[in-house]
Amino acid sequence: MSGNRRTVTPAWLAALPAGWLAVFFVIPFAIMLAVSVAHRVPGGFFEMGFELDSYRRFLSPFFGGILLTSVLISAAAAVICVTLALPFTLFLSRLRRRGQTLVLVILLSILSLSEVIVGFSLSTLLSKTAGVGNFFVWLGLLEESRSYTPSLFALMTGMCYLALPYSVLVLYPPVSRLDPELGEAARMMGASPWRAFRTVTAPLLRLPLFGALILVFVFTLGVYLLPQVLGQPQHWTLSVHITDQAVFQSNLPFAAAMAVLLLLVSLAMVGLTLLLGRDKGAEA
Amino acid sequence: MTELSLRGLTKRFGNHTAVDDVTLDVPDGSFICLLGPSGCGKTTLLRLLAGLEEPTAGEVSVAGQDQTNVPPEKREFGMVFQSLALFPHLSVADNVAYPLSIRGRPRAESRKRADELLAQVQLAGMGDRRIHQLSGGQRQRVAIARGLAIEPKVFLLDEPLSALDANLREQMQVELRQLQQRLGVTTVVVTHDQKEALTMADIVIVMDKGRVQQVGAPMEVYRDPANAFVAGFIGTSNLLPCELTDASSLTLSGQRLALDPADRVKCSPGQPAVLSVRPEDTRLGPAGEGLEARVVFIRDLGESTQFVLDHDGTEITALYAPDARSDLKVDDRVGLGFVPGKRVVLPA
Amino acid sequence: MTTRRGFLASTGALALGSLAAPSILRAQGGALKVGTYGGYFEESFQNHIYPDFTAATGIEVESIAEPTGEAWLVQLQQAARAGQAPADVSMMAQVARIRGERAELWAKLDRAAMPNVENLPEHFLHTYEDGSFYGTGAVAWYISLVTNTDVYPEAPESWATLWDPANENSLGLLALASNSFLLEITATVHFGGTDILATEEGVLEVMNKLAEVQPNVRLWYRDEGQFQQGLETGEIPMGQYYHDVTGLAAADGKPVRSTFPAEGAVLDSGSWVVSRASDAIEQSQIFIDYMAQPEVQAKLSRFVGTAPTVPREMTDLTDEEFAAVSSDVAPILPRYELYVDKADWVNQKWSEIVTR
Repeated sequence: MSGNRRTVTPAWLAALPAGWLAVFFVIPFAIMLAVSVAHRVPGGFFEMGFELDSYRRFLSPFFGGILLTSVLISAAAAVICVTLALPFTLFLSRLRRRGQTLVLVILLSILSLSEVIVGFSLSTLLSKTAGVGNFFVWLGLLEESRSYTPSLFALMTGMCYLALPYSVLVLYPPVSRLDPELGEAARMMGASPWRAFRTVTAPLLRLPLFGALILVFVFTLGVYLLPQVLGQPQHWTLSVHITDQAVFQSNLPFAAAMAVLLLLVSLAMVGLTLLLGRDKGAEA
Repeated sequence: MTELSLRGLTKRFGNHTAVDDVTLDVPDGSFICLLGPSGCGKTTLLRLLAGLEEPTAGEVSVAGQDQTNVPPEKREFGMVFQSLALFPHLSVADNVAYPLSIRGRPRAESRKRADELLAQVQLAGMGDRRIHQLSGGQRQRVAIARGLAIEPKVFLLDEPLSALDANLREQMQVELRQLQQRLGVTTVVVTHDQKEALTMADIVIVMDKGRVQQVGAPMEVYRDPANAFVAGFIGTSNLLPCELTDASSLTLSGQRLALDPADRVKCSPGQPAVLSVRPEDTRLGPAGEGLEARVVFIRDLGESTQFVLDHDGTEITALYAPDARSDLKVDDRVGLGFVPGKRVVLPA
Repeated sequence: MTTRRGFLASTGALALGSLAAPSILRAQGGALKVGTYGGYFEESFQNHIYPDFTAATGIEVESIAEPTGEAWLVQLQQAARAGQAPADVSMMAQVARIRGERAELWAKLDRAAMPNVENLPEHFLHTYEDGSFYGTGAVAWYISLVTNTDVYPEAPESWATLWDPANENSLGLLALASNSFLLEITATVHFGGTDILATEEGVLEVMNKLAEVQPNVRLWYRDEGQFQQGLETGEIPMGQYYHDVTGLAAADGKPVRSTFPAEGAVLDSGSWVVSRASDAIEQSQIFIDYMAQPEVQAKLSRFVGTAPTVPREMTDLTDEEFAAVSSDVAPILPRYELYVDKADWVNQKWSEIVTR
């Protein structure tokens, strides 16, 4: 089959995605790399050259702490998001066809909302004056309405809201292909529903789960508006600082250097995750 | 005593009644085949036994204990699924040991038991393989070994051999039957293959449209079908509309046919009836004797020769030993008769 | 979120657009190209100012939308090297104006040809070190102390209220050193004036004092709309914001007020400068002179909402009109040199000490 396919697909077809990748990824990255080592002219943007000043500036406890914060926030968002997405997707895959389509369409429409809209809607929803606090007061749960933003909780909520559709879309195909008899077999052999999920369903979905984790992690690393709108200063991620440098301080070399480092860190995290995924597979 | 007992078991999906008021008692240690065409409700019935479906009405009990509301993991049954449902992320031995590890048995003990079971199904030494490294027959054996790991009260199998090719299937039928006899576990197999059912079962339960049509030993069901459906579904039967004139004769295509005391009559005179005769119980004589028929087709099957005849627009099949009737050719006129004592008259 | 001054949104897109636009050499006697911040300002000037200017002087104006921040400075600089001027007269933020001054990007102007500029106070008259004149203040606006009237029935009187423990978790402050001017405010309130900001030690001392407001800060905002919404609902009932915008919201019936504290509000401004590559110096001078007239400043106050750059007495603004855009209280003047000379250092320390 595959041999057959190879003969009917012209080899040059591979050049298209390669070219696309070069134009839209490699070239911009090369420009960013070049800018990151350029010389910063105060107020005048930069002059091309080669110096490591911008990288040197980054190597400080201050930016180290921010990088760590960014990674931790994104990692937490990935774990929370996928933890929510998995049962949701399992539930979704058991709905009837029409229901599934409806839910998927709603999820896709969430994707069309921008970070700005999500951020501002959530900051209103979690506010003291117009938010859920009033609802809790009405329910009698609270004496007086209170605000839930800005806070780590608000930020996580925003990030998970943005990333949940992606995780569901990553998990949906493998979950819907999962043979329901596998879970039933586990039940027949004495496993409670939760045990069956833990020992059979979850391990079988290991690779898609890792894929979803990586996707949400990388996606939320790039989110720069939500931390400003929903987070406190200690939750301002590296992406916020990159925006500050690029837009407000006109320090493109430093912004580019931070972006390069952020990219390297995400690649390292992705690599680590993949390695982890593979090791577990070999051991099981 | 793990007698399995069903009382008025019914399952409806919306307007569709998949299993309709099934009442059965299965003796301990017997091998039961649920036989029927696809969609007859046999798989649903099996899933009701397993606890994977909740009955709309009725109850299931084992050894006098009601199991109707017991979840599947508490029933201590073994089950082999149609897809086998082997866990691809576990090794062969870990698959077999899964029910033991769920029950918290020590790892070494589980592994020892898994190896024993694998040896019983001729897979000794294969414990460390991955599922995808096994052939279809080997996977089948793993699924069986896994289903038996906890010495289940009842062993359920859903079309377990359907994925295998014909030769292997026959071999596995024999093996499965031998294994079951050795272990003495009450076993229920769902199949649509009547040969399979006849090969393995102590008791065959023929189902159609959600209802049990007949319960009996294989030869009983074969020789003495309860109705036209069973007669047609089990083996090949020639079914001829007729009229039962009185207790000892019937009218067929205008001819009167005297019945032998050994013939089985399942309906009363005056009722519309069907005469059921197996191809091997059909006799072809010279034209003019018995019913008029014409040879339409001759099929040489090696171990036997099959004659396809046309009698008054009804297709009749006759079976002879090879070369026994080399005198007949297509288009020959023959006289059709039936072996006395092998005839069954059923309600139409 | 459309913001009054459109700081965030317009920067990138406009920078690109201006770079890509072909430079057309202006024919002698053609329209004078005047650049103002794209968005609200450019629109207002087109509607209220340019038609009257053309009627008064016969000089046509081609309105150019310029990005805020320093992108426009860079474009002017690069164009000037090629002998071109994307705009003759530009409205520049102070930091960019000073950078342009250091690079001698601005054309020297004949002060004598512009009698009206003498109306302007000293801080709105820009000269090179050698005393030669190159620009004037164009528009000014105040960043004042704003409060929600439902939450604070009494107006606060001093910036010191920012440090009051009673206001825990209630403030909205601008997130950046260079647009909040909180260092100047802190220096004025706690160190007797902004002179302490002349040295790095002094700046750090001020920053540490400012860091004490952190428990009171609910939101460090970059987007004006977010704070304005919080202020109007009472969610973030106090903070620093634009005096004129707050006044408009109050006039709309929103429960907000802007207060000029005893120490003064921050007076930020944009200035008119002329690219040295411009060949329309004369017309530019006529334009700048025209804009320095008290009547024109009063019109800007009425229609654009900016504070007059000329003394109040010269204008015919009523008390109410004046109060809507300005105050008689002496302003806090930003120390723009700080953000020119030590931009990266201030920004870094700000992140480490203040918005940590």
